[in-house]
Amino acid sequence: MSTAQVAQTKGQAVTAAPRGTPQSPLEATSKRTRWVVALLLVVALLWTLVPLLWMLLSSFKNRTDVTSATPQLLFGPTLDNYRNLFTGSNNLWPYILHSVLAAGISAVLAVGLGALAGYGLARTQMRGKRHLAFWIISTRMAPIAAVVVPLFIIFRGIGLIDSIPGLVLAYLTFNLPFAIWLMSAFFAEVPPSLEESALVAGCTRWQAFHTVILPLTKSGLVTTFVLCLVFAWNDYAFAVVFSGPNSQTLPIAASQLVTQTGVDWGQLTAIGTIVVVPMMLAGLAVRRWLVTGLTLGAVTGE
Amino acid sequence: MTHAADYSSAIDRSTRPKATAPREPRLGFEGKMMSPGLLLLAALSIVPFLALVAMSFSHVRLLGGVRLDLVGVTNWVRFFTDADMWMSWLRTIIYFVLTVGLEMALGVGIALCLFRVLRGRNIMLSLLLLPMFAAPSIVGLLGRYLTDSTFGLYAWVLRSLGYTGDVLGSPVSAFAAVVLMDVWEWTPLIALITLAGLSSVPQSVREAAAVDGAPGWMTLRYIIFPAISNVLLVALLIRSMDAIRYFDIIWVTTNGGPADATKIVPVRLYETAFRFFDLGYAAAIGLAMLAFSIFIARTFVRLLDVRGLTR
Repeated sequence: MSTAQVAQTKGQAVTAAPRGTPQSPLEATSKRTRWVVALLLVVALLWTLVPLLWMLLSSFKNRTDVTSATPQLLFGPTLDNYRNLFTGSNNLWPYILHSVLAAGISAVLAVGLGALAGYGLARTQMRGKRHLAFWIISTRMAPIAAVVVPLFIIFRGIGLIDSIPGLVLAYLTFNLPFAIWLMSAFFAEVPPSLEESALVAGCTRWQAFHTVILPLTKSGLVTTFVLCLVFAWNDYAFAVVFSGPNSQTLPIAASQLVTQTGVDWGQLTAIGTIVVVPMMLAGLAVRRWLVTGLTLGAVTGE
Repeated sequence: MTHAADYSSAIDRSTRPKATAPREPRLGFEGKMMSPGLLLLAALSIVPFLALVAMSFSHVRLLGGVRLDLVGVTNWVRFFTDADMWMSWLRTIIYFVLTVGLEMALGVGIALCLFRVLRGRNIMLSLLLLPMFAAPSIVGLLGRYLTDSTFGLYAWVLRSLGYTGDVLGSPVSAFAAVVLMDVWEWTPLIALITLAGLSSVPQSVREAAAVDGAPGWMTLRYIIFPAISNVLLVALLIRSMDAIRYFDIIWVTTNGGPADATKIVPVRLYETAFRFFDLGYAAAIGLAMLAFSIFIARTFVRLLDVRGLTR
């Protein structure tokens, strides 16, 4: 136990060092606790990051390295997997285009309509307000499987199977209620007195909304857009039922690489990287508002 | 139940600032703002819901145009007497409790650890959040790659620890694997929400406990957890509703197998609807799932109302 003793004396030395500054009693944690915390965090980081890093590494491996029985950390990196994705018989470009269109259009529509309706919901005094709010949130929470089945019949009836508009509508079933609810939470934080002074200054209600309130909720708009984009981009359950050759998205492209005859894991990890990385960057860009966004406005701040 | 609702709405009305703008007739400005979004939402939710109800009492024909033949309660009788279906619900409950339970425990643990770190907390949090943004289907495929018995990284680790089986090949380990994949992806969400809750506990409260000489676990049990219980409840509800929504991971890894070991209700619904094209029966299953999610939504909204978390 000599190491623990050393650790403790060191801990005292460290806590004693910054003299003069008033210290919070919370800082007086023992060195051992700090080591345990650090160790747990390292384990959590490894558990989180190893699969992602392994996917990234494998996407640069050649055919033999990617399926080598012993893991290869040192290997000659190659861009072949990515090159083959864009040159082979089954080109990835259409899939990327479908993904961008379906996810992008549904996110734009959701944020646009969601901002209008969310503002109305936040400010309205109508009687059935809480029933309305409940209907919106339960639409967001409806299981995808329960939505897919009737939509499949309806889409078949009106010819929306295997089309980008069909996918956009399918994604709106969860993105629109999400955007309405979340934007309403963001608008509720803006004090109504701001609009009132704008009205006194001679603005119409629309001008007050457009020129005073909307600029104040810019971060809310961006967060809502990013989250809608992520949800739609990552969708698999709707796309696997509704899409065909004219509308297949990236997650479908990835799952199509799994065939009876075997899987090209090099290409698959490359597609995985292409699907995952943009959404991670977008998500981290709005990290400050993620809590608000992902709890649908129930919890705010960091 | 109705009493509680009336009571809280009465408070709501009395504390809400009076609108200064003159009352407009009928629809009003707010109504005009809401109508485009709500009309589209109605088309996207009420119409499918009615279709779902109708389908659950019908035999759905797809060939030669969509047609519903009313068959009464046949689908529902089947739903309540199907032994496989009951097994699926049981499996779903186990899957649900395991994933959500593990995610809550690990997420809160990670948040408590992160909260003690002062330097580099932001960068660590950012790194820990990454799995959340990954498409679940890609997570599933990646899981397949990592656990492949001949070249998977994790299979190799398990092999050096003495486990030589095919992870996704036997029922128990396959179930554990899909649970862990879900835990990998969604634990960060719980950690993120909990950390937000922890940061909102006033520092003075924690300091007071520390000065009084309360041991760490006591501070946690009697000061921290009560203070963040609302936030934890929100995290639990958010996660619960998504746990039943997503099944992509299972769909791309085991497809419900081996020997039905991972066939939870949404997977069975997909199989019923889009492999056997028994859409009427699938609609009955869908309605049952919907009832569950509406229950969660109800709890969520009530929590917001009663505890006044927002608005």
